Amino acid sequence: MSEPVAPETVVVIDDDYAMRLSCTKILTKMGLHSQTFEDGARGLEGVATAKPGLVVVDLKMPGISGMEVVSRVHEIDPQIVIVVITGYATIDTAVQAMKCGAYDFLPKPFSPDELRLIVNRGLERRRLALESQQHEIEQTMLKRRFVTFVSHQLRTPLVAVHQYLDVLKSLDQSSEVQAKRQEWTDRCLKRVEELQDLIADWLTLARVEGGTLTKERIKVDLSRIIPDILKTYEQTAAAEGVSLQSHLPESGLCVAGDRNCLSVLFDNLITNGIKYNQPGGTLTVSGSPSDGEIVIAVADTGVGIPEKYRPYLFDEFFRVKDEGAKKTPGTGLGLHICKRIVSEMGGTISVDSLAGAGSTFWVRLPAWHEPESPGGSPTDAGPKTNTDCG
Amino acid sequence: MQDQKRILIVDDDQDFREAVSCFLQAHGLTVFQAHDGQEGIRLAKLERPDLILMDIMMGERTEGFFAIQEIRRDPALKGVPIFVLSSFCTRLPDFEIPSSGGWLAHDMFFTKPVDTVQLLDRIRQRLGKAA
Repeated sequence: MSEPVAPETVVVIDDDYAMRLSCTKILTKMGLHSQTFEDGARGLEGVATAKPGLVVVDLKMPGISGMEVVSRVHEIDPQIVIVVITGYATIDTAVQAMKCGAYDFLPKPFSPDELRLIVNRGLERRRLALESQQHEIEQTMLKRRFVTFVSHQLRTPLVAVHQYLDVLKSLDQSSEVQAKRQEWTDRCLKRVEELQDLIADWLTLARVEGGTLTKERIKVDLSRIIPDILKTYEQTAAAEGVSLQSHLPESGLCVAGDRNCLSVLFDNLITNGIKYNQPGGTLTVSGSPSDGEIVIAVADTGVGIPEKYRPYLFDEFFRVKDEGAKKTPGTGLGLHICKRIVSEMGGTISVDSLAGAGSTFWVRLPAWHEPESPGGSPTDAGPKTNTDCG
Repeated sequence: MQDQKRILIVDDDQDFREAVSCFLQAHGLTVFQAHDGQEGIRLAKLERPDLILMDIMMGERTEGFFAIQEIRRDPALKGVPIFVLSSFCTRLPDFEIPSSGGWLAHDMFFTKPVDTVQLLDRIRQRLGKAA
């Protein structure tokens, strides 16, 4: 799209030779490519082949009427901007033409400046219309891809479970299946859990995107909620051989947000830090206020994230494709959800990682500001009414 | 048992491969498993299976299509029946068939989850009595 664009073509349809000549002169001077035709029939043919951005058409011509030309041009391409030329006596007709879809009209006689102005305006309008059309196409593509992808993601575990059950049923008595029964039942349970996780994550994402999870802005002290989350993962971490550490102040990490939403955010980061760690590893959560922000770092001692994957880490459905990471179940939505939550709250999330030495996720959220008292002057901003979160 | 027919299954879902393989093995077929298109092409060339079961959507891409084209390019594998097993679509989408490879008249399409009894039936039909 950034390549040099060929000059826009403008088609002029007018039975008056002098008019065609002067229009061509003006349009060429504007850097446009102009083509002229002396009647409606030829003009429409010309429009079909030249694919102009704008058509100037005289309303009063022998043969096909200008009015008909207007509607037939839009049958060829509804995005073509049409300007009609009309004598003073036919202003009513011009209005009629605009009702048929013409963009504007030029009453005869008109000056070169008037033509230039109206052509420029028309082309600008067309550019905006095409841009928004392009944007719409991209959005639809994205949505269509998302639905295809999610349905495939949902279907894959279902297919696996179905296939296991199908084979278990049809080979009920055979020795091959007897030996596998226990293992397959466990695998089926794992796949069902995978499906449940995906549905839960998808739902969370839909809520974050719909704004229902991020609407509320109450004072939440992260130094209170993060230890609670850590506590719920003590057993999981122990099972994985990962020790949990917290370097958080007792209070004072206050942000404005929704408690559930913030829980989802740190829950995701902490589970990742445990999942992508290694036996004997550590997960450390630390936090401090800094420059009007609350900075939380969630650091693991896992294998780290190769640099080439880092730019995509927060994209929806992105998963690191290395062998180790592939074995860890995940929906590919967790970090995307984190990013959505953080940006809805006006903060940022980023990652530092050293191959082999683990990753640190940094969350920066705007610190909580006590609402100013109604009579307070702007100069005494931030009266330290709250000792916790000054 | 040297006459046992050999099947290659290419699918990125370990559980699906496991279930189908076990079923086919229980019915006297030898099964090789590949977890992606590349591995599928490698095993096809190495093992010269009698029939290939191919998934389409692997690793977030329609890798199966490329694997089929690649397999068909090998003169030794040109005539091997390829059955497509996919949940990606309910029928084969139209796509460009290169002259050097592509679909044969006896290739088949199955929707996942697959009816294993029917699948076995079709495999036997294709490979004759020995299967």
